[in-house]
Order: sequence, then C-alpha cells, then structure tokens
Amino acid sequence: MNRNTPAEVRRANGRAMALVLVAAVLAVALMCLPLYRFSAAVFTKKSGNTFVGDEKYQQVRAEVEAMAQEHAQRTGGAPQIVENVTERTNSKGEKTSMVAFEVRQVMSRTGWDFMFSGLPCGTFLMALVLCLAAAVGLMLCGLWKAVDVDWPELNPGKSVPRRLGAALGLIALLLVPAFMMSCNLCFTRQIKLATDGFPKPGLDGLLRVLDRFLYGGTAGEETLSLMTGVTYQPDWALYGLMAALAAFTLGGVLVAHGHPAATLQKGLLYGFVICLCLVILYPYYVMLITGFRSNAETTDMYFQHMLPTRWVWSNLSDIIGRGVPRYLLNSLLLSAGATAIALLCGIPAAYAMARMNFPGKKAFLGFVIMSQMFSPVVLLVGISRLMNALHLNDTVTGLMFINAAFNQAFAIWLLRGTFVSISSEMEQAACIDGCSTVSAMLRVLLPMAAPGIVTTLIFVFINAWNEYTISTVLISTNANKPITVGITQFSSFNMIEWQYLFAAALVATIPVVILFMLIEKHLAAGLTAGGVKG
Amino acid sequence: MNTIPIRHKWEPYLWLLPSLVLMCVFVVFPIGIVFKLSVSEISKSGVVKGLVGLDNFRAAFRDPAFGTVMLNTAIWVVSVVGLSTLLGFITAMALNAEFFGRKVARSIVVFPWATSLVIQASVWNYIIKGEYGNLNNVLLNLGILKNAVNWRASYQIEFAWECGVGIFVTIPFVAFTVLAGLQSIDDAYYEAATVDGAGFWRKLWNVTIPLVKPSLTVCTVLNIIYVFNSFPIIYTITKGAPANKTDTMVTLLYMRAFYDNQKGPATAMSVIGFAILCVCAGAYMMVTMRKEDAR
Amino acid sequence: MKKIAALILAMLLAFGCCAAFAEGDEITLDVIICQYGPNTQEWFLGSGMDGTNFVDKFEAENPGIKLNLDVVSWNDVYTEVSTRISNNNAPDILNIDVFANYAADGLLLPVSDYCPEELFNDFFPSFIAQSVIDDTVWAVPDLASARALYVNRDILDEVGIDIPTTWAELEDACQAILDFYEGDVYPWGIDMTTDEGQAAFSYYVWNNDGGFVDADGNVALNSDANVEAIEYAVGLYNKGFTNPNPATQTRYDLQDMFGAGKLAMVIAPNQLPSYLSDKGYEVNWETAALPVNEGKTPGATGVMDRIMAFKDDEYPDQAKRNEAIGKFLTFFYAPENYVGWVSMEGFLPAVNSSVAALVEADPSFEAWLAVLDSCQFYPTALDNWDAIKQGVIDVEQQALTGGDVKTLLDDLQAKIAG
Repeated sequence: MNRNTPAEVRRANGRAMALVLVAAVLAVALMCLPLYRFSAAVFTKKSGNTFVGDEKYQQVRAEVEAMAQEHAQRTGGAPQIVENVTERTNSKGEKTSMVAFEVRQVMSRTGWDFMFSGLPCGTFLMALVLCLAAAVGLMLCGLWKAVDVDWPELNPGKSVPRRLGAALGLIALLLVPAFMMSCNLCFTRQIKLATDGFPKPGLDGLLRVLDRFLYGGTAGEETLSLMTGVTYQPDWALYGLMAALAAFTLGGVLVAHGHPAATLQKGLLYGFVICLCLVILYPYYVMLITGFRSNAETTDMYFQHMLPTRWVWSNLSDIIGRGVPRYLLNSLLLSAGATAIALLCGIPAAYAMARMNFPGKKAFLGFVIMSQMFSPVVLLVGISRLMNALHLNDTVTGLMFINAAFNQAFAIWLLRGTFVSISSEMEQAACIDGCSTVSAMLRVLLPMAAPGIVTTLIFVFINAWNEYTISTVLISTNANKPITVGITQFSSFNMIEWQYLFAAALVATIPVVILFMLIEKHLAAGLTAGGVKG
Repeated sequence: MNTIPIRHKWEPYLWLLPSLVLMCVFVVFPIGIVFKLSVSEISKSGVVKGLVGLDNFRAAFRDPAFGTVMLNTAIWVVSVVGLSTLLGFITAMALNAEFFGRKVARSIVVFPWATSLVIQASVWNYIIKGEYGNLNNVLLNLGILKNAVNWRASYQIEFAWECGVGIFVTIPFVAFTVLAGLQSIDDAYYEAATVDGAGFWRKLWNVTIPLVKPSLTVCTVLNIIYVFNSFPIIYTITKGAPANKTDTMVTLLYMRAFYDNQKGPATAMSVIGFAILCVCAGAYMMVTMRKEDAR
Repeated sequence: MKKIAALILAMLLAFGCCAAFAEGDEITLDVIICQYGPNTQEWFLGSGMDGTNFVDKFEAENPGIKLNLDVVSWNDVYTEVSTRISNNNAPDILNIDVFANYAADGLLLPVSDYCPEELFNDFFPSFIAQSVIDDTVWAVPDLASARALYVNRDILDEVGIDIPTTWAELEDACQAILDFYEGDVYPWGIDMTTDEGQAAFSYYVWNNDGGFVDADGNVALNSDANVEAIEYAVGLYNKGFTNPNPATQTRYDLQDMFGAGKLAMVIAPNQLPSYLSDKGYEVNWETAALPVNEGKTPGATGVMDRIMAFKDDEYPDQAKRNEAIGKFLTFFYAPENYVGWVSMEGFLPAVNSSVAALVEADPSFEAWLAVLDSCQFYPTALDNWDAIKQGVIDVEQQALTGGDVKTLLDDLQAKIAG
C-alpha cells in the first residue's frame, strides 16, 4: 500500500476544498441569474367567425389593445400583441376565419425569485442551498485539524462528516432535476388538468402564488386562463448550476476519499443497478396499482395519482367469483404433473448423457435441440389432433404431457450439467462394491445433485405455469382452464377489464416470483453446471 | 473422463428411453402431422381434404406479406437476441460485483423470467396506450413530461416497442447464464492477469469472455429458437397491424391459420420456419463448436 | 347378515340400472357462446340470471338434456372452433358471427331441421334473410346492434358548429374543431383495426352508394364509389382529423376517448351510452345518422351474430338430437330469458316476441329498432366473406401507411374474384 506524505495529503485536500468552495460560490452566483425564461400570455382572446378588418375584428382588437396598455401601465413591462388568423374555405365555398389575439410578455425569473415565491418548486431550491451550506460546513469540520492525515488513518469523527458532505453534494445535484420536474408540474400539468375540468385540491392557492410570481398579482381570476398560454424553457444558468454542483460533488468525493475513480465506478454500478431494478419493477408496479383501481380509473386519461385513489379490494373477490381459484388449482396440477413427468424422463436421460459414452450421443443431443425448434403455435393443429387420438383433448392430463415434452430439452441440459459437475468417483466405488447402476445413481448421485435438481424442477414448473398458447387451443371447458388462459376472459376484444386482468395477473405471478426468488441462490449454480462441456 | 463403466451395449439407450418416448409421442408426432398437413388441402373451416403437393408452399411464398414478414422476423430475432445478450452480459457483470443490496438486486432481475409472456405483453400494452397508458400517466405526474406523448406514433415505433419487450423478458435468462459462468471462473485467472498488468478491458476480453463463452453458446441457441417462435408479445400488442407490417413469421402464420382461414399455407409456413431455424441454429452451433474445438 | 348384504347388493344393482338407463336417455349438447361483455359468463354459468344461471335453469326445465356450455372470448373463438372442426369434434350449437364456411363444408344442419315453426316465424324476416344460402336457412340471429354517429354536444357548441350530415360538412367540422382546440381534441374517430376494420369500410362505402357486393350480389370491392369512400376516410386521417393510430386503436379505445372528452365525434354501436354510464363518464352526447357523401343514399350499418347447429352423424338418434337443439332455442328465445340476455349488454333483439317488453323497459329502444329496419348487414352469406373482411382491413391499413387505394382494391378484387 502506498502511503501519502502529510504534505501531499495537505496539498490534495487544499486543492479539493478549493474546488468545493469555488463550485459552491459559483452555484450561489448562478442562482442569481435567470433560471427560467417565460413567454407568458397576459391576455388571450379567441374570436370565431371573424375576418380581419370587419366590425367584430375591430371591436376585439380594441379590447385587446386596451388590455395590453393597462397591463403595461400596471407592471411597467412592454407586452406584445400577437395576432393569429386561421382562414379556411369550407366545402360550400364560403370563407371562414378565426382570429386569436394574445398579449405576450417575455420575462425571466432567478433562483431567488423561485425560492421566495412560495411555489412548491421553490422549496427544492431552498433545500439545495441548505444542502450546499451543510455540505461545506461538514467538510470543513472533517478537515479541521486533520488536513494532513492520510485518508485510511482518519478516525470516524473526521471521515463521517466528509462522506456526509459529499453525499449532500450529490443530493444537491439531484435536486436540480427534481426542481425542473416540479416546475413542469405547477406550470403545465396542474394548469392543464384544471382547464380540462380536473383540478387538484389546493389549486386556488397555487393560482394565487402563480399570479404573484408571474403577473405581480394583477391577473386575479384570469390566472388560470392566462397560464394555459405560458411557455417556458430553462436558461443556460440552470445547466450551469448542474455543472457547478457536479464539480462540488467531485470535490466532496476528493475530500472524503481521495479516489474519485473508484467512487465513480461504484456510482456507475449503483446507478446501473438502480435503473435496471426500476425498469424491471415498473410493469409490476403497473400491475399492482391497476389491479386495484376501479374500472373507470383504469382508462382515466386525466388520472392525477401514482396510486389508486381508492384501493378496490373487491376486484380480488370479483375475480375469485369468476373462476380464478379454479384456474389456479388447474395451473398447480398441470405444473406439478408436468414437472414430475419431465424429471422422471429427464433424469435418466441426463444421467446417461453425463455418465456414459455411447454411439449416438451427439445425435440424441441434436434431436433434443431439434425438438425445440417448432413453436407450440406452429404445432397447434398437430398437437390437438394427437390429443384427440389419445382422448386427452380438453384435459389437464394432456397438458401435463405436452408441457413435460416441450421442457425435456431444458431439463436434460440443466440436469446433465449438474451431473457432469459432480465427480463420478463415488459412483464408481459404489459400482465396484456391487451396486447396480440404478442404485448407484439413486443412492449416491441424486442426493449430491439435489440443488441442481431443485433448480430444474422449478424451471419446468414455471415454464408450465406460464404456458399459454397450447392451453388456449386445447382447453375449452371452463373448469379445466389454467390461469394463463382463464385470465383472457378479462381481455376479450369486446372489452378489456384492465383491473380484473391485472388483479388476476398479479395472483398468477406472485407465487412464481416467490418460487424464483427462493431458488435464486441455486439458479446461478444450476446454470453453471449446465454450461460445462461434457 | 467423468464416466462410469457400461455393462451392456444397450444400457445407455434404456436410460434414454422414457425421454425419447415422451418426445416422440408429444413432439415428433405432431411435427409429422404438420408436415403432412403442409402438403394437404385444408378447407376454410378446417376440414382436411387430401394431398395437393406443393401448392401450399407456393401460396405461402406468394403471400403478399411474406417479404415484409421475413424482414421483420430477421430484425426481431437479431435485435432481440443480440441486444438481450449484450445487456444481459452487462447485467451479469454488474450483479457479479460486490455491492450493498446485491441479493435484492439479483432477486429482482429474475422477475421478468418468472412472469408469463401474455401477462408481460398485456402490461406493456397497457403501459404504452396513447391516451390512458400508464407511462404517460407516471411521467406527467412526476413532471418529467410536459405533455402526453403518443408512444405508438407509427408502426415502426410499435415494432421497436415489441422488440423492447422481447429484450426485457430475455435479459434475465442471459444474465443468469452468464452470471453462472462468471461465478465459476477461478479468481486465480484474474490475479494472474492483474500481475501481468492487464486493465479492465483486457481482462474482460482475454479472461472473462472466453471462459463464459461455452455457457453463452447454448444459451444463445436456445434464445434464437425461443425468440423466433415467440408469439404472445406481438399478438397482444399489435396483432401485426397495420397490414402485417409488424408481424413476424409465427404471428403471421397464426393469423393466416385462424383469422384468414388459410390453414394449408399456414402449415407450409411453419415448415419453412422450421427449416430456417434448423439452418440458423445449426450453423451457429457448428461455427461456435468448431472454434472451441480448434482452441 | 347375508340377507342384508344381498339386499344392499340388489339395491345397488337396481340403482346402477336406473343410472344406466337415465344415462342412456340423456343427451348432452356441446354449446359454445361468445363472450359479449363482462356479464355473459355470469349469465350463462354463474349467478347472473336472477340468482341462477342459464344452464341450471335450462336443465331444470328440460330434464334429459345436459348442456356442456362454454363461454369463449372473441379472441379465441375462431381458433377454438376451427381446431375442433379439424378434429371432428365440432360443438353441437355454436354462437358466432360467420356461418358460410361451415355451411359450404356441409357441417351445418339446416335450421328447418331443428327450429320449431312458431319460433322460426318469430324472427325478424329481414334478419333471417341474411343467413340464407341456396334457399336454405343455415343459422338464426341471436342479437343485433346498429351503429350511429355520436357527437359531444359541448365540444360542438363551444366551437360553434352543427352536427355534420354530409362528408363535406364533416371535413369542415373536423377542421374547425382542430383549429379551435389545437390538437387537444381529436375531431373524428376511426377504427381500422384487425378486430373490426370491416365496420369502418362499411361506414364509408355504404354512404357513397358503394358496398362489398354489387346489385347482383357479386363481389365488387374496387368500384369507383368504394375507392372514393376509402380515399375519403384515409384522407381524414392524413389531414390529422382522427385519432392518431387507427390501425391499433380499437372501438373501445375510441369510446374511452369519447367519454373523456378527447374525441368529438365517433361512430359507435347503440350500446355506447350504457358503456359510458358504466364507466362513469359524464358526456353530453347526442346521436345522429352517419354522414353521407352529398347526393348519395344514406346507409346505416347493422351487425348481427348468429346461432347455428352442427351435424353429428355419429349420434344414433338424430330426431332426438334435433328436438333437443330445438328446445335449447325455444328456451333461449323465450321472452323471460331473452329480454334479460339482450338488455344485459345493451343489444337489440332478433325476435318480435321480446320487443314489447324491451320497449317498455327503455323507450329509446324504439328509435333503434327503426334504425335497425333500414340497416344494411355484412354479406356474411358469401363463402369468402372472411377473405373479404380480412382483405378490406388489410387495404385500409395499407392505405393508412401510404398505399394507393385504387391499386390496393383492384388487387384485392382480383384476388377474391379470381
């Protein structure tokens, strides 16, 4: 391990702290610059059936000009009048025209304006400043009387404040996008919802604040209609702020560890894993919240919440009333049966493949893979004729065999790998002792291969549980349907009942997910074995 | 070799017998029926009328959508298998690293694997519904979007979504196969490489990839087959609309068989698909296996 | 002891015999019913029929007949039926929309074989006429629905326009709505999905004196009137007047948009109001006739589904089987059952005997029955109707992505007629 001399450490800490302080000052300075530029309509007027120059036009124009003047006097700004004419010739050859007037004003607002406006987004900036201040303070504390102590030798009293400071820097950085999101919410989303007739509680208060913030309190009742015409975009200062905070965080990391590369790597790793998990969990979140919303809410285009407004637990009892327990039972029977058959046939085959040399071994492997190449969809007609011939049509038993057969390749692949990875010495010894091959396998190999077998078992179980296409064609009696087919009654093209579909989907998914999580530990081990060349 | 002595010549075949019987009856026999049907005339309502030779194949090749669908199938298989392998590999690398909450992350990554494709496809179909879809709802309520976005603005975009869902559900399988490979690598290799002064990329290229390759080969072959034959995603999200422009071979033949009542050409198509798969998967295995043998 | 044992044995034997006899006497009918909505399954198999269900009630009233009844979703019903036919395992009674293929393959029983005369005379004659091939009636209608234009009155008022009656007015109205709402509201709904694109085809061609067939009943898909109509419909999309994805947005998506006030005008079936109120949408809607091309005859679109019976040559007693099927139909169409069935999902009836009760329950039915009288129906009696249906949907979807309507329809006509 390389040691740093106190002088080196002091120099490095000094440089890092300088970076931190410069970045902090820069950030505060940038907050004084305009963060957002607004182009706000202070007055709008639409007039249908109006032609440029006619009486109605003159009238409206005068009204608009008066408004603009009044506004200019009141606020001291310089509003512009924008006139938008839509002229069309209709099918009867008549001309139609619509005139829209807007009195627009361009303005910008600084970070401090936001902070003291009372808007929800302002609180994010306030939190940002507090984080920044606290971070600087913590770092200074951490450096106090320990500027030249090498990082590995820092005592917790010094290293914890430094790390906290760096973390607060990161939080401050993340608060910028949060601030932008919050701006979108109060300048666009809530206004749009309100004009479409779906106001959120507390809208009046928000409108008053917005009025003060943008119009200096002059808009009053008009605020809502004026806000619909507001366009805005972030100014360069906002991006500058982000850069400054990134630099601040970097400085913080330098102070805390002295190894920014490792931290960056770790940060990327966490970032990737968190994003991945969020994306993966997202559909399940959708299933969960949609499964417990009311039918009307599932197709509500103005839905304002991230969660159902009321958790409709009765969706569960409704789907139970519509046969879901029966379907689950069928799925359970089907999967258990398929698994048993697949393992009973697969274990001997895998054993032979793993432990014996014989002509035709490669041919059998080819055959197994070949048997996977036809999609069940493609074979539907053939399978259903076969089932008919065997009198297994429309039965769960038939599905068991089909699923077992279609999972043979996977089962053999996994099991063979497991067996190969276990040394055959014990069996050989057993054979010499006079044991038959069968009992050698049963007594010696299988107990050792148990984890691999469990993995295979659960794989087959899950594949059978999730199978849809064959069952949908083979099973017509309602009482024999597995869950995957049973839930399609909720998504018939006559009407999709999203809430039931997802409630049932959830019920069908949870047991499998739990099973899978249980074997996750063995999963990799089972698959490792599968990959080994025999 | 890790084998045990065989007492009789026929003994191994006895061990294979149950599996062979099961597969012959429930897989090979239906395949035979499909081959026979592909040269039979089948009436619209499904009555089998007699042999017609290669008429069905001619009809299949003449199908106006055939060209588009072959192209789609190629895009579908290559993009889903390719990207899911790449992303699955990265995921496996990440999950193999030490970090806080790794156990939880690993459990979460198996989720898509454990969920039925029909269910996944329905959920994603709901998520990207233009008007009330959950994606718009969430992004708007978080303030990330200012206005609702039409996530399915054109059929190309819809097809891209379908590929995305395909990738999404395939990643866990690849990730765990690779993870298994990664865990079986002896740390000694890496230590040796470090001593030689190899950086991250050189270790990845010279140690990790060669050692993970065998498990990746089998996994890729299986993936090619599964993805080629994957049906519920496209069927649930677009049903091939507009005008078969988002169909792949399997969904097209399903539509032809059960919507358009052209069962003869549809079975011919399934035989064509089988031939293509045999060639592709076979060629892939030959190439990779030969390389390994040469090594 | 022995005596008792013998007695028990004798009793068991007697029971066995009785059971055997009863079994020999019993007939089981395989029935497939399509799922029309959330209540269908409840009504047939659950407890949606005043606490009981169709099957139980039927079996109680008709001893000796068992029903093996399945409610199948529209998504799966074609797959299921055709697979069962391929396997010589057709249902006895099937409820579906098409019948010509089955008739052409000689799978169906003529209606006269099983339908009691009294019931047969109860059907609207114009409906029965839709199920005739070569002077034989092959199926009976189970219900119908009619399509009309629905408009959002509030949107039209705000923009200041009237309900459009002609195509030209429709374009004006769409343009006005588009201008006024700047894209926040879609003026016009079009559904050209794989599910029901043929309906869109009919909405336009039948209001332009075109159609699937010409006056002689021959397939005539590429007539100038049809080309003009489809070009008009696709033109609406190209001008940005419609919902953004006509090829994948189904009627239900459109209905939801209409309910939420995102769509100003849409053509929908008569069940729309009950759909809207079920979902809690509060829309100030109004209905009107479909817009028609100027100078052409208006044509309303009606949709009808059917019940048909399949042959089963292996069954020993054909007369008994026919009688059982007849009993099923008689029971199904009896007003005390049928009224509940039709009104449950808001459909229109196919028999006279239930009209009075339905009108009494909901006076608005009368207007719809009048519309139904003037409705045109799809030419489902053509044995290549399914090819026509998929063909026109394909043409529409191709046209939406930039294909030339004339060429596409010419090709389709050549394929269908040739």
